[in-house]
Amino acid sequence: MKYTIIIFAENKPGVLYRIADLFLRRKINIDSLTVSETEQHGISRFTVVVSRELELIKKVVKQLYRIIEVVKVLEKREEELIFREIALIKVVVKNATERKKIEDITHLSNATVNAFGEDYVVIEKSGTEDEITRLYGMVKPFGIKEFVRSGRIAVLKEGLDRHSGKPKAHPES
Amino acid sequence: MKKEQTKEKLLTGSQILMESLLQEGVDTLFGYPGGAIIPVYDALYDYRDRLNHILVRHEQGAGHAAEGYARLSGKAGVALVTSGPGATNLVTAITDAMIDSVPIVCITGQVFSSLLGTDAFQEADVIGITTPITKWNYQVTSADEIAEVVAKAFYIAQSGRPGPVLIDITKNAQIEKAPFAYKKVTHLTSYQPNLDPHPKQLQLVAELINQAERPYLFAGHGILIAQASQSLQAFVEKTGMPVANTLLGLSTIPQDHPLFVGMLGMHGHYGANKLINKADLIVAVGMRFDDRVTGDLSRFATNAKIIHIDIDPAELNKNIQVAVPIAADAKQTFEALLPMVKKRLHTAWLKRFHDYDALEKEKVIVPSTHPTEGEVTMAEVMHLLSEKTRGEAVIVTDVGQHQMIAARYYKTKKSDSFITSGGLGTMGFGLPAAMGAKVAVPEKEVIAVSGDGGFQMNIQELATIAQEKLPVKMIILNNNFLGMVRQWQELFFAGRYSFVEMKNPDFVKVSEGFGVAAEKITERTDLTGAIDRLLASKEARVLEIVVHKEGNVFPMVPAGASVDEVRLE
Repeated sequence: MKYTIIIFAENKPGVLYRIADLFLRRKINIDSLTVSETEQHGISRFTVVVSRELELIKKVVKQLYRIIEVVKVLEKREEELIFREIALIKVVVKNATERKKIEDITHLSNATVNAFGEDYVVIEKSGTEDEITRLYGMVKPFGIKEFVRSGRIAVLKEGLDRHSGKPKAHPES
Repeated sequence: MKKEQTKEKLLTGSQILMESLLQEGVDTLFGYPGGAIIPVYDALYDYRDRLNHILVRHEQGAGHAAEGYARLSGKAGVALVTSGPGATNLVTAITDAMIDSVPIVCITGQVFSSLLGTDAFQEADVIGITTPITKWNYQVTSADEIAEVVAKAFYIAQSGRPGPVLIDITKNAQIEKAPFAYKKVTHLTSYQPNLDPHPKQLQLVAELINQAERPYLFAGHGILIAQASQSLQAFVEKTGMPVANTLLGLSTIPQDHPLFVGMLGMHGHYGANKLINKADLIVAVGMRFDDRVTGDLSRFATNAKIIHIDIDPAELNKNIQVAVPIAADAKQTFEALLPMVKKRLHTAWLKRFHDYDALEKEKVIVPSTHPTEGEVTMAEVMHLLSEKTRGEAVIVTDVGQHQMIAARYYKTKKSDSFITSGGLGTMGFGLPAAMGAKVAVPEKEVIAVSGDGGFQMNIQELATIAQEKLPVKMIILNNNFLGMVRQWQELFFAGRYSFVEMKNPDFVKVSEGFGVAAEKITERTDLTGAIDRLLASKEARVLEIVVHKEGNVFPMVPAGASVDEVRLE
């Protein structure tokens, strides 16, 4: 099962290392990881996507709380989130016919052409991982020069009350 | 003309470090100088009257000594070492402190900040290396950070679930000047250990305890850390619950207490293990269901509801699913629960432990503590030591067979009197940890008990003991084997003794060479006199006792077996 773990932590040196190490110790492969600033000064938001069983994820969440700088950790299923990632696909263009085809696919996929040159176009697509994978599959036959995706970012559909109560209070006690 | 002295006085980073340590109540440092920490040692020269620095012979010794000191003093032990190899030599002790929740503050020198990352002389990525094994670590690169970081370090090390922290200070930060102002840390927004138990959870716990027919309490190290020994005693006396200790929980309750039923775990007591699966309620306090305690988890506590009380929420439901988890301080929880629980007696239930005790006594304890022929046994030494010190000494063990025998046969009477490396099982822990313990409690008899293997792992600290004139008593139970591994090879590897036999040095000569008096005995008839001489000595003394070469530790829960499959032979 795919879970998105959202970690709020003080923006201090070494926090990413400690977080990554925890996943390493538990031998959990990270599908994607993004880090960014938040609306709150000095607090970073880590979005980690992993595909493992909930029982294990819950233990990891508690161990994440052991990291001194970690303020809040949430583990969420996809239906609880609005989530996106962004991808840039640099596709080979051999001739005008192919260029037209690629552009059509791009538009039908709700993507945009971000840049282009004589023999390539750069498609920018924001969407779910599945949407990006689908688009990638469609343009792949034309030839891919480069492909990069950002990793998931996500916001909660509802109920983030990070500012209320004790930051580290645990559901169990 | 002289300027008015309204300007803040500037101190070097090294002086700031000294002042900060004093502010934290530090009076003892275990350390070893080197290039990248020289400015700190230079400042220390002016603080010799206030900071007692003990020059170890290997940085690992400093780390374990700091642990021993912390375990007895109740405050963080401090280790001070140089960069590179100085710091990496601390790694084992830091890991040990991490898994056994021991507050130590490690201060490591580091190369100039301008050289960081350049593979400079004696540069090691100490922050990188120690991140997985510290509760917190931080690299200081300028003098003005030092006071704040030290304050934070001590707070983190000593609060909540204690643990090791490390401060890596670049050489320029030790030299540069900055104004000094100290503010103790008492609160961090991102780190707030919960101490008080949730009232609703307490209600549930009290109900379960009041209804239980066969309740059983596991008392762990967390109780000692919380200084909750008396609260534990009051609690079990009211509820009538039998209480067993984890290895690190030993000495939470006097072992002659009528409700004390022994030690849990692989080499714990027979009944203490056997009856885990007969209990209908287990109250586990300040312990973490280590695999050496639980054996096969799927066949552990099969008939019991479990209440788990621990200050670290990550321990709750980690190894075992529990009915009621409480993330709180042990003392506060006992005190809150005491008025809520009914006065009970569980005579019949307790008798079942005593029945098993009788069996264990007959099959294991008496034959090993009172042998009439053959070589001296480890058990008879520990039994005799226990009698002669009335269980009032501080026993610091190393790791292996002698450790389990000491845990089983030394009958502790007072809190914090059994110090051992539990989680990590660090051979070489005993000697330096005993040294640190003795510094913390000079008025107490501190006895290091080691095997011949472990004693050699930090044997160089005999020099420190001699130089500091620390009257640490040391017993080497010498079977010329790495006994615990040999025991496993005998029982589980068809007697194929693969590299466990040791041709040892002459421990008496070695000790005397270090300037420590020593004696060796091989005969049972010499045992009493030798122990008397050890205890009577006002100075450090080593007693080597040649023991049964192929003695085994029983009872034993074989690895992977269920606790009720505990074997007496």
